[in-house]
Amino acid sequence: MNAVEIRNLSKNFGAKQAVCGLDMTVPMGAIYGFIGENGSGKSTTEKMICGLIPTSGGSIALYGKDYRDENVRKDMGVLIEAPGCFPNLTVWDNMMLQARNLNIEEPEKEVIKILKKVRMEGAAGNKYKNCSLGMKQRVGIAMALIGEPTLLVLDEPLNGLDADGMRIMREVFTDIVSDGRRSIVVSSHLLGELQKVATHYGIIRHGKMIREMTASELDQSCRTFVALQTEDMDRAKYVLKGRYSRIEEDEAGYIRVYDTELPENIVEYLYENGLYVTEIKTDKIGLEEYYIDLMKEGK
Amino acid sequence: MEKVEKNKKSFSNRLKSMLRVDFYRMLRSRLFYIIIACALLVPIIMTVMLTMMDGQESVNQQTGEITILEGPDYVWESIGSLPSDKQADGEEAAMGNMDVMALCNINMAFMGVAVFVCLFISDDFRSGYSKNLFTVRSKRTEYVISKTLMGFICGALMLLAYFVGAMLGGAISGLSFELTGGLTLMNIVMCIIAKIFLMLVFVSIFVIISIGARSKAWLSICGSLGGGMLLFMMVSMITPLGSTIANVGLCLAGGLIFAVGLGAISRVVLRKANMI
Repeated sequence: MNAVEIRNLSKNFGAKQAVCGLDMTVPMGAIYGFIGENGSGKSTTEKMICGLIPTSGGSIALYGKDYRDENVRKDMGVLIEAPGCFPNLTVWDNMMLQARNLNIEEPEKEVIKILKKVRMEGAAGNKYKNCSLGMKQRVGIAMALIGEPTLLVLDEPLNGLDADGMRIMREVFTDIVSDGRRSIVVSSHLLGELQKVATHYGIIRHGKMIREMTASELDQSCRTFVALQTEDMDRAKYVLKGRYSRIEEDEAGYIRVYDTELPENIVEYLYENGLYVTEIKTDKIGLEEYYIDLMKEGK
Repeated sequence: MEKVEKNKKSFSNRLKSMLRVDFYRMLRSRLFYIIIACALLVPIIMTVMLTMMDGQESVNQQTGEITILEGPDYVWESIGSLPSDKQADGEEAAMGNMDVMALCNINMAFMGVAVFVCLFISDDFRSGYSKNLFTVRSKRTEYVISKTLMGFICGALMLLAYFVGAMLGGAISGLSFELTGGLTLMNIVMCIIAKIFLMLVFVSIFVIISIGARSKAWLSICGSLGGGMLLFMMVSMITPLGSTIANVGLCLAGGLIFAVGLGAISRVVLRKANMI
């Protein structure tokens, strides 16, 4: 059984088709990285999963049941666009409201546990409006975690978090899915961060799912390259272009030679042409570059 | 991992938890206390001021018409018009009388509660709380019931605060507490109870307008005040100072019919509309 199974989903806003014929499968225990350009239909899809906007067609099943089923919905946690907190209430009050909404038997105990999990114990008494952007985001994630939901839907949860905040959230996400029962759908433009935790990916474009894959499939799809530096970069590029089909200079000032043989052969070839390699390493393109390449292909 | 215990999700449990949340919010909302304080203070200030200004004349320079500001004689005038023989008074009838009390009395609470209901509901959508709420609750009925009850309680408290304020204002101004024209204390009690039940009609209208307007508080306030104005004149007719059990019954029946009918429509609006 899958945590989320979407078939032929569509959503129209008047004449505009935001989502058209989208298929999506989130297995149980997955951290599903949901990626797409601005306006590609990610948030609209997430809102439909959460029942916040009605669908125009297609089906959504959560843990094998219709997404409108009350028994499925009570086990969901959500952070879409902004944390749903009242600015004049404290962090504690806001979290207590959500715990009470969920009919949790011991709400105080649950709120304390979640605040500890996201390292926000010290800020419980702060008014929400006085929290910093990063703290607000943590509160939003904390609100979504109340009641140990089996399905978490998080839209840009890492925005505004500092490096430590991101590390904590990665730990939290990994811990949530560790039992293999619970799943997270997370959309983010911070692809580097997403790649550190995601087990599955879905790439959406113009309201359609263009690719779904596991992290290992992504790893296999990502091309390897040799990155090197020489004393004369311009000449090295000219020389390498004579033998290799794809050469690029990256932002860090390295020449990248894609889909190639052993680095020793490149060093030797450059040496034969009177160029000394000062630094060389092999690497793979990341999710970000894979995604950019995919988008370029589509265009 | 330790499993979090959640109460069984029966309708009554869900409603109870929703009411608890709304009460929690209402009691922590500054607006609630401001509105109750206004309901208490406005009649005191008005009664004292109108008593001080009683009998003052103003002349319209163009028409020469003399307007006499008429202050209250009885404390009950803040609640409704007294069956009085003033209108038959030849001298007063000849001149334009300005009876401010007939316009600005306890019925103002029906307008005041519109502001509370509209801001209370629009806050749910503006803050994004509605997303958290409707994700975990697919049923909308308890939301509508809870908001209607919340508005009703706030309205009832406003009416009671206004009543207390009117009595205090009357006592400070030295107005008469005498019951004239066949009025009894029971009539006054019935009048207040009828108004409380009638509040349900108004609140149901305000709730449906606020749900329709969602985060646009200005739209819901304008719509509610406009809609309320259409029914405002009805209040003094249905709940006169000399109300009886019949008035109470009528208001209760009307309140329940409106609450159930408009509540059902509000629920449909919530189901069909985007929550954000």
